[in-house]
Amino acid sequence: MIGRELGQREGYRVVELYIGPQHPASGHMRLVVYLDGDIIVRVDPDIGYVHRTMEKLSEIREYVRVISLIERMTIIDSCNITLPFVEAVEKLLGVEAPPRAKYLRTILCEINRISSHLYGLGIGGIFLNHSTMFMWGFGDREVFVHLASLLTGARLTHTYNIFGGVRRDLPQGFRDEFLKAKRYILRKLKDYDKVFFNNPVIRGRLENVGVLPRDKAIAYGVTGPNLRASGVRYDARLLGYAAYSELDFEPVVGKYGDGLERVWVRLREIEMSLDLIEQALKQLPDGPIFHERYAKMVPPAMRKWFEKGRVKLPGGYVRLRPRKGEVFSRGEMGHGEVTYYLVSDGGMMPYRLRIVTPSARNAIMFSILPPGHTLMDLPSIYGSMDYFPPEADR
Amino acid sequence: MVLVELAKALHVPVWALRGFLAPLVYPGLVALLGTVLFLIWAERKMAARVQQRVGPYYVSPKLHGALQLIADGARFALQEVIVHVETDRLMFVLGPILTFTFLSLPFTVLPGGPGIYGFRSDFSMVIVYALLTLSPITVILMGWASSNKFAMIGGGREALLTVSGEITLALAILSVAAMYGTLDFVTAVEKQVHTGIIGLVSNPIAALLFFLAMLLLTDRVPFDIVLGEQEIVQGPYTEYSGVLYALTMAIDYAKLYALSIAFTLLFLGGWAPFTTPLLGAISVYIKSLIVLLFSVFLRSVYGRMRLDHAMNFFWARLFPLGFIALALGVFVHVIYA
Repeated sequence: MIGRELGQREGYRVVELYIGPQHPASGHMRLVVYLDGDIIVRVDPDIGYVHRTMEKLSEIREYVRVISLIERMTIIDSCNITLPFVEAVEKLLGVEAPPRAKYLRTILCEINRISSHLYGLGIGGIFLNHSTMFMWGFGDREVFVHLASLLTGARLTHTYNIFGGVRRDLPQGFRDEFLKAKRYILRKLKDYDKVFFNNPVIRGRLENVGVLPRDKAIAYGVTGPNLRASGVRYDARLLGYAAYSELDFEPVVGKYGDGLERVWVRLREIEMSLDLIEQALKQLPDGPIFHERYAKMVPPAMRKWFEKGRVKLPGGYVRLRPRKGEVFSRGEMGHGEVTYYLVSDGGMMPYRLRIVTPSARNAIMFSILPPGHTLMDLPSIYGSMDYFPPEADR
Repeated sequence: MVLVELAKALHVPVWALRGFLAPLVYPGLVALLGTVLFLIWAERKMAARVQQRVGPYYVSPKLHGALQLIADGARFALQEVIVHVETDRLMFVLGPILTFTFLSLPFTVLPGGPGIYGFRSDFSMVIVYALLTLSPITVILMGWASSNKFAMIGGGREALLTVSGEITLALAILSVAAMYGTLDFVTAVEKQVHTGIIGLVSNPIAALLFFLAMLLLTDRVPFDIVLGEQEIVQGPYTEYSGVLYALTMAIDYAKLYALSIAFTLLFLGGWAPFTTPLLGAISVYIKSLIVLLFSVFLRSVYGRMRLDHAMNFFWARLFPLGFIALALGVFVHVIYA
């Protein structure tokens, strides 16, 4: 009876529990949990089940093709994850996107952030067996996926940011659609508060569970809403990439850093993102959406597409050769901060592209938060983290 | 009456016919099967309505997916039952069968209407309670026999929760018994019909305790801690497949059905306002169906309560409340007398 054997670990007689990779609530990973009675002694996250060698693959692709590769790390948040890379290459190329393109990038980034947060809230709901929050989160996310598809033509992997601009202009009627979506989601946020966030059963599951103090959060390099919930005012958007330097916003910051606050930060960030999109739509400048240097390379017969608000890429665009050098860039995704370290040797492909995704940095929370809690708190901690395995494994 | 004539025609004594029909037809297995088929469909449809979905649909679109569960049942019946090497084979296979058998026994004494019962006993409340408390023992054994850590933890949780839930249930039943001065369901209902005041009004605390304990004992949300899909997959039932898995699913619904009939009899006036067998039976059935639908609807409002919070809730809040309910029952008994 192998299943009943007890082991020894760090002086405790413990049960070794393998949660995943085939488990209803493990995701694409495995958690090795050591239990002393019902108390968790130690958790070893075993990640890497969906490792797709993104860094290596990007070394054998031309720069343009790398964009559509790396957005597959987090298809629910694909604008946010490609933007820092695009900006890094732009720095090496010596081009800068026109202001209108910068604003459009910001708008899509915020739409993606909302859908990423709704996804995270839905997953957080089903981890507490709250099936209504699960369905609501995923259902209402569809509204923002629709908005993104109006803007870019694709629901998820939009490959919207390209070097020197964006691929499509703002469609007619987008503002009205956005206002409709905003009214709808603000009404639904009230329902979330009523049914999920202020539900006594849910509060009991999240309150004082998985508390991550401020100093620990900084020491372990936790990022994103999880870091802000612990009371650290850090948001990569404050660096002012894209159009963020011209918009007025204040990051949502929590106090205690327990599971409830991590959920709260996400809920309030949805409201903040709505506000940011509205500001960006109001201040949206006129002008081109693609850098002149590349627009000139497009043959005259194809220019008519530019008037229709669509960018046709010139043939030479695939063979871009950024100058030799190294660039570091960062951006704020829905899950946290993503950083790129790009080394170019002057060729058509990156010499090396180092990617650190937010979920990879947040994976440490699996080891530091659950010990001392009961087994039932493990899904609650997992759900409040908004961890996305394909992104962490790259 | 019909029953007497039928017994004469079949040349069997009436009591034997009663003892055969009640547990097998109504309120027993046939009614249970129909109710479970309807209830799971209704549960999924209600949750779908709240969650902006359609719910089961593509099996029989004209009936809005009402045959979905029959299709699922056919699939389970045809599926291989996997009994893996490490199991305690005998207990593993017998577990669900025994549990389901225990749970179909209460229908012998549980009246489904005026004059519709298997056996009339002065202690029918105690018999129903005792038979229902047998099932957790086999569930714990199932968890042990599966030789799976998730199942074992689930069995442990079942043991822990059963103890706290059944104390509350016993207090609720006792306070009703004290209120009507009887341990017989039929007499309790007759008292309610006679006085015209249902148990829910005369002792609301006991009704609340009974309902919450019912949710806990049958693993309904927010107390579905034993199943705990997000931590322990399916609790004690993790290793089951095929027909045996379908049986483990039926365990909770059978228990819920029996307990909601008991709730109807004790607190909703049973067959009141009717006294004829047919209308009375329909009245009991509809009332218990409403109780069932309400208890499965909670799934779309709540999540799962934490184990220690649930224990705290039952021992620190509801257990003392049980004594208040008992005192209230005695007080009402004095007024009635």
